[in-house]
Amino acid sequence: MNDFCLQTKGLNKVYHSVLKGDTVALKDINLDINKREFISIIGPSGCGKSTLLRILGCLDKPTSGEIIYQDGKEQEMGFVFQDSVLLPWKNVRENAGFPLVIKKDKTKESWDKLDDLLELSGLSDFKNSLPKELSGGMKQRVSIVRALSYDAPMLLMDEPFGALDAITRDHLNLELLKIWEMTKKTIIFVTHSIEEAVFLSDRVIVMSARPGQIKEIVEIDLERVRKESVRDTDKFQEYTKYLRGIIG
Amino acid sequence: MRTSKTREILRYVMDYAISISIFILIWSLYVNISGVPQFVLPKPTVVFKEFIGLFTTGMIWPHLGMTVFEVVIGFGIGVIGGIALGYLVAKIEVVKTALMPFIIFIQTAPKIALVPLFVVWFGIGLPSKIVLIVSMVIFPIMSGIILGIDSIPADARNLMRILKANKLQVFMHLEIKYSLPMLFSGLKIGIVQAVIGAIVAEWMSGKIGLGYILTYGNATYDTPLLMAGIIVTIILGIVSYESIELIGRKLLKWHVSQNIE
Repeated sequence: MNDFCLQTKGLNKVYHSVLKGDTVALKDINLDINKREFISIIGPSGCGKSTLLRILGCLDKPTSGEIIYQDGKEQEMGFVFQDSVLLPWKNVRENAGFPLVIKKDKTKESWDKLDDLLELSGLSDFKNSLPKELSGGMKQRVSIVRALSYDAPMLLMDEPFGALDAITRDHLNLELLKIWEMTKKTIIFVTHSIEEAVFLSDRVIVMSARPGQIKEIVEIDLERVRKESVRDTDKFQEYTKYLRGIIG
Repeated sequence: MRTSKTREILRYVMDYAISISIFILIWSLYVNISGVPQFVLPKPTVVFKEFIGLFTTGMIWPHLGMTVFEVVIGFGIGVIGGIALGYLVAKIEVVKTALMPFIIFIQTAPKIALVPLFVVWFGIGLPSKIVLIVSMVIFPIMSGIILGIDSIPADARNLMRILKANKLQVFMHLEIKYSLPMLFSGLKIGIVQAVIGAIVAEWMSGKIGLGYILTYGNATYDTPLLMAGIIVTIILGIVSYESIELIGRKLLKWHVSQNIE
């Protein structure tokens, strides 16, 4: 059970600026993330949660400190961006399978699995649609399938549902849990919604701003498999109230 | 569906036909009433006869052929050069800093004013004409490519990094496709510039080309020939512009600017 997926030791990120002086975006971040864990990172805007995620995804370099991946530096990762960043000239299936093209994976197995994922996300009828014909929720579904298509053990998500309406968001939360339970991936999920964090996560990392550091890590002890009804339980309410209290 | 579409096209054609007919009618009436001499403004029928004559006698073909040849060669070199230069400027900061002052200088200088200089440098033959056309085409193409590459969302590049794509893959799968819409708006400006450049270059030197027909008509007070020549150049401009437009529409079906059928 206590298989670690990644560890960070004393991560710091400082932005140097001649005019405004240095800005400390992240200060002394120490994390232990287990395999198959669903972790949310939450905090006020400007607390560096997206920066932290980008550093974990090797899209940005820390100023100091280190990250240890269980599978080494070349660890495969999926990343879901705030905006779906679908390629506008590719249809849904081509977009979702784009990583397979880049990784030159032509096996029927992978493409069949891709079709299963599309089916699971309710995209089967839209395989040939272009991004401009899709709604925001649909686009984000495609981008999640894309991140899953090459079966990376780790999935990083940067406020993927931030731009969606509340109803679509709740719906996609449920779908994401379904996918997570089936694929058993490690998910690190950045959000600014407390309810979303509680509903999805095993643990919620609360960050504070200026400098961005970890304030508290809250274990969410709610039953798995979670259903929509879990939102109405007292325990769920207690967690959200508690988190709201520490975020302030 | 089919019939309504044909009807729509028919209506466009009708609108154009009516608009042009009214223009020709006013022109014709004016010439008849005011009695201006033919070398100032000929009747539409005279111009039309001259225009048809250009083709039936076959005298237009070598000139039209030459102009088309110059446009194709000049535009071709300009496009390739513009893409290469634009890509280097967009990707390599040093190239940008080094070249930008010259590029802005060349772009803002009225190229037509440079023609005599080109003639001094490259002679009165084909090379000076091609140089002028290339100088007029290269900038819109280049800025199209630069804009296109700059318009690639940062996260699309991040996606490529997450997927560990190599440079060639980024170029083939991301940069080319993303710059196509901007490139095509550059191409559309470029092709119009190319035709203008060819005509102006032919004014300056040589005894062949549509530009030469215009100066010849002008020098001999043969205004019907001059006007018929102008019409040929306009048609050449429209045809070349529409060809680029058509190719663009085929390649950019996915783009938001194109309506879904």
